[in-house]
Amino acid sequence: MPPKSAARNPPEERLVNLVVALMATEQGLTKDAILSSVSGYREQTEAGAKKDALEKMFERDKENLRGLGVPIETIGDRLDPEDLREARYRVPTAEYELPDDIEFSPAELALLNLAGGVWSESSMSSEARSGLRKIRALGIEVEDPIIGYSPRISVRERAFPELQQAIEQSRVVTFPYLKPGDEAARARRIQPLALVEYEARWHVYGIDLDAHAERTFLLSRITGDVTPTRATFDPALREGAGERARAGLDELAERQHALVEVNPGSEAALRLKRRARPAPQGILVPYVDVHELADELASYGPEVRVVSPGALRDQVVARLRATVATHGGAA
Amino acid sequence: MTARRPLIATDRAAIMLQLVPYLLGKGEVSIVEAAEEFDVSPAQMREMVEKLTVIGLPGDGGYWQMPNELFDIDWDLLAEQDRIVITNSVGLERSPKLTAREAAALLAGLQLARTIPGVGDSEIFAGLLAKLARGASAAPADVIVASGPVDEARSVVAAAVRDGLAVSFTYKATDAAPTTRTVDPVKIQIASGQWYLQGWCHLRRAMRTFHLERVSDIRLTDIPISHGGEPVPGWFEDGTDDVVVRVRFPESVAPLLGDYLDRAEVETTDSVSIATMRVADEVSLRRLAARRGGDVEILEPAGARRAAAEWAAAGLAQYR
Repeated sequence: MPPKSAARNPPEERLVNLVVALMATEQGLTKDAILSSVSGYREQTEAGAKKDALEKMFERDKENLRGLGVPIETIGDRLDPEDLREARYRVPTAEYELPDDIEFSPAELALLNLAGGVWSESSMSSEARSGLRKIRALGIEVEDPIIGYSPRISVRERAFPELQQAIEQSRVVTFPYLKPGDEAARARRIQPLALVEYEARWHVYGIDLDAHAERTFLLSRITGDVTPTRATFDPALREGAGERARAGLDELAERQHALVEVNPGSEAALRLKRRARPAPQGILVPYVDVHELADELASYGPEVRVVSPGALRDQVVARLRATVATHGGAA
Repeated sequence: MTARRPLIATDRAAIMLQLVPYLLGKGEVSIVEAAEEFDVSPAQMREMVEKLTVIGLPGDGGYWQMPNELFDIDWDLLAEQDRIVITNSVGLERSPKLTAREAAALLAGLQLARTIPGVGDSEIFAGLLAKLARGASAAPADVIVASGPVDEARSVVAAAVRDGLAVSFTYKATDAAPTTRTVDPVKIQIASGQWYLQGWCHLRRAMRTFHLERVSDIRLTDIPISHGGEPVPGWFEDGTDDVVVRVRFPESVAPLLGDYLDRAEVETTDSVSIATMRVADEVSLRRLAARRGGDVEILEPAGARRAAAEWAAAGLAQYR
């Protein structure tokens, strides 16, 4: 067979050839074997490319493939695991492929199709679609699609993907966090454990390394970049973290109540009464964050009056006063 | 379909790894259908399928690969009918595991789907969670979507969608008197934990969107729906937004304005943004202005600006 052009093949061909080669080997291939036999490297080796340049290319390819979820195993010297000169590489089929015994029923696929469509305009949308494709390729057909519903999750905060990646890698991050009422943002250092949408706001739950305690932060108050550090933590901390975070927020709402009076028949009455309990003088509204509740109550203007707590009342008054001032009225 | 971004080499590699199991599962498929499935153009799909035929097992001892060691396709079928069939495969036959991120995206979506009455049962959800966990190549980050409880309005609306019957209820729009409506349900939008019923309103004789928090006294009628095929309006586009307003705010506040800005034109200079948008009536923005406590300033029309000042002043007067 005549040799094809020795010019560089497109990198995606090399990447896919590498996966095929590493999956086809049981005992693994050495770097030398890869560089001299796998298409994409072989042509360049034969064309006289420098070996250390090719080795660097192989390292980059390995990282890129791992980023795609391809499990590349390194089998080192049994006597000296640090010595990678004779290391062999392989992709264990069982870790690469969807397990044989995983099958999805048409009803399950219908649900997954609905679930995969919830992400609006974010990178999560293409992740969901890609995951669905892998499942659909198992050859299941939806018999009764679920129609009539269009559930949506939106993520507007830039911090979301950065935090998600840090959680996946169990990596400590820092970010500037502006607490309402503070003059300037303060740097926080946390072990991020879970992302939680609660009352339509995104939170990150984690361990604050300076406060030495679990904390929940609102993504909307992260004012700058989320910076990954070199420090990692035990992934076991992540187990059940999402449920713990949600339970913590539920418990907070259970404990904190605002006593407010509402005008009957008003917007405030309509929106607040659904989640409030009646009280002798007004209604008791549960809340998790005093600033967020103050925002909402201020929007109701004269329809609601805060009785207690005092901190909430002060915050509502401050918002109303600032609104009057900004719009040219006398306060 | 989402806008196509340029594909980099790793994107193309990821697609090619998924393409083999997809094509084998399909048996034979048109270029157009495969392109749609993978969100790429037909030309990109054709290029990737052609490239597949240079993928194969490594040559033995430095020799070129034999044809049976490479993927192959039916070239005539591709050339003449734009259809793809894999005729020789050398691996990659079963779908790869999901990445942690792909699993997280589906798991979060399932949490939301689970809140819909009558869609799946807890057994099917538990089974799916276990399968996705086992089918992921690494532990996904916990992404939790907490939703409010299923109330009566949600149950009734879900039953109406399922049975194809109209619902009737009392509706209280912001700053408007309550009205009684009979609605043919067409679609239920779920966003930010809230349910919105879109359907044909018998009173207005048009498609309308109803926020379920504003619905009371809801009941299922025995009237079969008659306008189920009408096109669904876009988010809140009821054709009644005819007041143009301009608002000014610090750029950093933009994420807090959410849906408002989806419909706005925004210009930003020196970290200060000015948004121009259409709203239903001039007083509707006073609530937004008061919520943001001075961060959002209504510039015009003058009536809207005045309404915001009066609204906040009336609120303030209660604390004197």
